Amino acid sequence: MIKARSFKGGIHPPGNKYLSSKQPITRLPAPETVWVPLCQHMGVPSKPTVSKGDKVTTGQEIGSQNGFISLPTHSPVNGTVKSVENFPMPHRRTGPCVVIETESEDGGQVFEKWDDYSSHSPAEITERIKLAGVCGMGGASFPTYVKLSPPPDKNIDTLIINGIECEPYLTADHRLMLENPDDIILGMEILAYTLGVENCLLGIEINKPDAIKIMDEKGCCVLPLKVSYPQGAEKQLIDAATGREVPAGGLPLDVGVVVQNVGTAAAVAKAVRDGEPSLRRIITLTGRGVISPANYDACVGTLFSDLIGKSGGYTEDVKRLISGGPMMGMSLYTDGVPVTKGTSGVLALTDDEVRDVVESPCIRCGKCVDVCPLRLIPNLIALAAENEKWKLAEEFGALNCMACGTCSYVCPAGRYLVHYIKKAQDAIRANKGKEA
Amino acid sequence: MATRRFELAMSPHVGATQTTRKIMFDVVIALLPALAAATWFFGPRALLIVVLSAATAVVAEYLCLKFMKRPVSFALDGSAIVTGMLLAYNLPSGVPLWLPVIGTAFAIVVGKQAFGGIGHNIVNPALLGRAFLMASFPILMTAGWVAPDAWNSSEDIAWGTSGIVQEQLSTIPMADAISGATPLNVLKQTFDLDASAQNAHNEGNTAEALSLEERADGIRSALYSKSTYINLLIGRTGGCLGETSVILLLVGAIYLVMRGVLELRLPISYLGTVAVLAWVFGGSGWFNGDPLFHVLAGGVILGGIFMVSDMVTTPVTPKGRIIFGIGAGLLTMVIRRWGGYPEGCSYSILLMNLVTPLIDKLTLPRVFGEVKKNG
Repeated sequence: MIKARSFKGGIHPPGNKYLSSKQPITRLPAPETVWVPLCQHMGVPSKPTVSKGDKVTTGQEIGSQNGFISLPTHSPVNGTVKSVENFPMPHRRTGPCVVIETESEDGGQVFEKWDDYSSHSPAEITERIKLAGVCGMGGASFPTYVKLSPPPDKNIDTLIINGIECEPYLTADHRLMLENPDDIILGMEILAYTLGVENCLLGIEINKPDAIKIMDEKGCCVLPLKVSYPQGAEKQLIDAATGREVPAGGLPLDVGVVVQNVGTAAAVAKAVRDGEPSLRRIITLTGRGVISPANYDACVGTLFSDLIGKSGGYTEDVKRLISGGPMMGMSLYTDGVPVTKGTSGVLALTDDEVRDVVESPCIRCGKCVDVCPLRLIPNLIALAAENEKWKLAEEFGALNCMACGTCSYVCPAGRYLVHYIKKAQDAIRANKGKEA
Repeated sequence: MATRRFELAMSPHVGATQTTRKIMFDVVIALLPALAAATWFFGPRALLIVVLSAATAVVAEYLCLKFMKRPVSFALDGSAIVTGMLLAYNLPSGVPLWLPVIGTAFAIVVGKQAFGGIGHNIVNPALLGRAFLMASFPILMTAGWVAPDAWNSSEDIAWGTSGIVQEQLSTIPMADAISGATPLNVLKQTFDLDASAQNAHNEGNTAEALSLEERADGIRSALYSKSTYINLLIGRTGGCLGETSVILLLVGAIYLVMRGVLELRLPISYLGTVAVLAWVFGGSGWFNGDPLFHVLAGGVILGGIFMVSDMVTTPVTPKGRIIFGIGAGLLTMVIRRWGGYPEGCSYSILLMNLVTPLIDKLTLPRVFGEVKKNG
């Protein structure tokens, strides 16, 4: 095997993936009531097209696309709309949801099945992916069709499929690669065909040798990568895979690359081959705060509390509930929030697992500088932000930060570096808006 | 189930186990082998000075925090103990006991707390304390050199007064005699001899010039000898408490590296620069200095491990750390060769501390994906 590649910087947090990595994916039936968020993607929420009392069928569009960076939303079940209302969300305070009383789950195929994708034009496929509501399933939930519609002046030559899953604890992508490699490979082929690229790589960290083996045997061009957080961050992955640096403030397209998550590839395969919109996803439910960690295939709109109820509940000492991974995930005050297309994991952490340090002054040890994958000066940005010196914060690179949390992870003073840097970003952007 | 409420917090939710307190106590542990050497060679008085100094530091920190109504728990985070120990390590063991108390109090109150406490001080407080003592009590600070093992042979602690240095100089070569004064003091004297020889030569007194040169060379060849190196390595030499045993200081350094506390860019660039410049101009002429002697003698190893790499007062950028080390090394050697002091370690670091923010600003790394700007 080729030598595993990596980027410069990064950390090695304990993976804790063993908690759930051996658990096969369990398909959960839809709960009695689903709360389907109208904004599961990055961008503008879709506009509801149903109202209270309407009968809906599985796969039916219940929210229409509302702008370029937006997607339609579909009903994951057959049932009756109870209401359209605001509801607590995993990533925002509240968001509009269509609440549906479930009757059954049959159906789902709403588009024509395309057994041979290559008999359709890339434009047709892109349109299908859009109508199916496919968005990035790695976490950021960016509409996939937008990434497949590069401006004509950008020459895309490489497609990278992201099977790295560098967030500790999470095993959803890992299980998907083990249990459904064919969908991923078909999705890769469709994406490569749509983009017109020859060079297509699948990046996997070498802590998942079984996944590397399976995908390799299936004839996939696997790129083994060193275990280092944040290896799966788009820019770091592109750097490790191709040696190209995405320009600061730019996009992967600027260096001729498109990156898609393995879950997205599988969703693309479903949308094109089976004519099914994106209604379900794989979620890792883990942490020492749940009695039995698991990997679930659940429909969107399932509440976190439903997942936890199915798994056997919390342990006594559960302390923090997180949507996503422990490095970038959001902590939630309640488990009454729905699963979205971007929910890769639900983490229930105990007192022993969470880091609980009292913040003390920066001692300028420089560890954050050494590990920052973007070569920023996190401690100085944070110091500038604390003193509201926004210009200075910008000088130290505040706007480039992707909030991966690597700096906060190593900080011996327990400084909330990500928080300060986000604060600086907001202020700098607000000031720029004023000047413009 | 849905009524359960969870704790809210900023990401990331997990983190490394290292804390400021652990780092500081790691430094304390790394300083202990050298303390053992100091106690062995200079007697229990050395231990007493270090303990007194560390205790003063904690008390001074506590009182400052209390006075400023800040959390007093900072006094026990270990940083004050490190400051106190480092200051004591920079004193000769013959100093009166009130001297470390005053010095440490100054270091903590003026050097650290006046700037806002841990993380906010501009210069290394221990070195500032030492500079304060050097300026205020120059005689006490240099007269108290004790020959190693002096307490065993109940010799007078005034071993290293200048009269005795002169005496030794007249009787050298005699390798053992070196230990009374600090080796760097002796080296400084040979440069004085060189200067006298040059004067004599200019006055036409060639015979005297030759004999003076011969004596200087004789002393130097005694200094640059295997027995001196060995004495310096194990610590059988005059000098400050903590700088005595190079080997045991290195043991501490290895511990710090293993614990992920010591970042090697600073010590290596500093010691490397001292070694190279020692060869370039550390001897009597150009390119005939003795790098090994300059690195082993005096406080360069102590400074290189524990002061040049002090986190708070040195740059955070990778390039900045190298520049800091080189700058401090250059200043150390310039002071040793041409300055008024035989030792230049502490002042060089203090001077570089002052330009640390500037170095940071000028050495910002190229941000990922950013095109290098000019200037």
